[in-house]
Amino acid sequence: MTKRANFLFIEKNDDVYTISMTPELQDDIGTIGFVEYTNGDTLNVDDAILNLEASKTVFEMASPLAGKVVERNEAAISEPTLLNSAKTEENWVVKLKEVDEEAFNQLEEA
Amino acid sequence: MDQDARLNYLNDYLGSENPNAAEQLIRDKADTAEDKIALFRGLCNIRQPESVSEQFLQVQDAFLTQWNNERNVTSLPDLEAVQPQLYLWQGDMTRLAVDAIVNAANSELLGCTQANHHCIDNIIHTRAGVQLRLACDELIKAQGRKEPMGKAKMTKAYNLPSNYVIHTVGPFIDERGVSPLKEHLLASSYYSCLALADAYQLNSMAFCCISTGEFNFPNQRAAEIAIQTVKQYIRNTGTKLQVIFNVFKDEDLQIYQSLLARKE
Repeated sequence: MTKRANFLFIEKNDDVYTISMTPELQDDIGTIGFVEYTNGDTLNVDDAILNLEASKTVFEMASPLAGKVVERNEAAISEPTLLNSAKTEENWVVKLKEVDEEAFNQLEEA
Repeated sequence: MDQDARLNYLNDYLGSENPNAAEQLIRDKADTAEDKIALFRGLCNIRQPESVSEQFLQVQDAFLTQWNNERNVTSLPDLEAVQPQLYLWQGDMTRLAVDAIVNAANSELLGCTQANHHCIDNIIHTRAGVQLRLACDELIKAQGRKEPMGKAKMTKAYNLPSNYVIHTVGPFIDERGVSPLKEHLLASSYYSCLALADAYQLNSMAFCCISTGEFNFPNQRAAEIAIQTVKQYIRNTGTKLQVIFNVFKDEDLQIYQSLLARKE
């Protein structure tokens, strides 16, 4: 199941929630040239996941859900334009666990 | 030293820091007071955030104090609320004496670097003094990256009649126009400034029309978002902040007058 919030997609597979770029967000911010993840194992709602600098926007990406960070798309640090890709396996941002399922269910359908 | 002597000193100092630029800025001889002020402003605008001598600061502060106070300064008691806690005022923001004025900055956060450019970022930095760019430089170096859109940072206001400057970077609108993200970022700029003002327990603040100038946000839509966000913030937080919408252009004055005249 996939939801949408904070201009991001959130895809749920069992207990793993993968946050990725929406085409609208990609269009809006332009070509990404710099990605810096925030530190920390957990995220609260609206905490910064990462900061990015793109051709049209300097943007702090806010987490739509609270959870434990289990994986980051480290490849995007050295190759930021991966986040401009149309493919989810390239444009994902972060994977979360220990997410409140009810909070997820309440997000807008993608 | 009188103002003329101060300007001569300041322009000599700034010119010797940056001889090539000074030559370009002085197309003719800078003879009149107006020319000298323009030269001073231009040299400050292009100046890198490098340390400056104590004596320079003393002379600059004396010059700016007098220059800034030659005009009528407006403070909150001079204004009448159009709605509870909301005010509308047309004029140059650097004439306001309130707790904080909001500057429409760019992501470098260092102030406008184009000599004598007519934008709010430029006049705020010019009339505050070179300390403002130095303070912003410190903030941005501590952060280690550019300032994101929709956030807010606070500095002192130095020689301005207000106490603080809140710097926010609004969204930039390109040929594709306004999008939901850009609207969200504009609201976020207003929200972040209000929250920061409350965190510092300020009583009064003035917003410029964020993103509407160089950043091309359509004036009407920007004003709707501005007023809606401020009202929502006041309702949700119960803040006692007094908020001035500071417009400069007649177009914005009319838009805000009409929007603020409406009852909920």
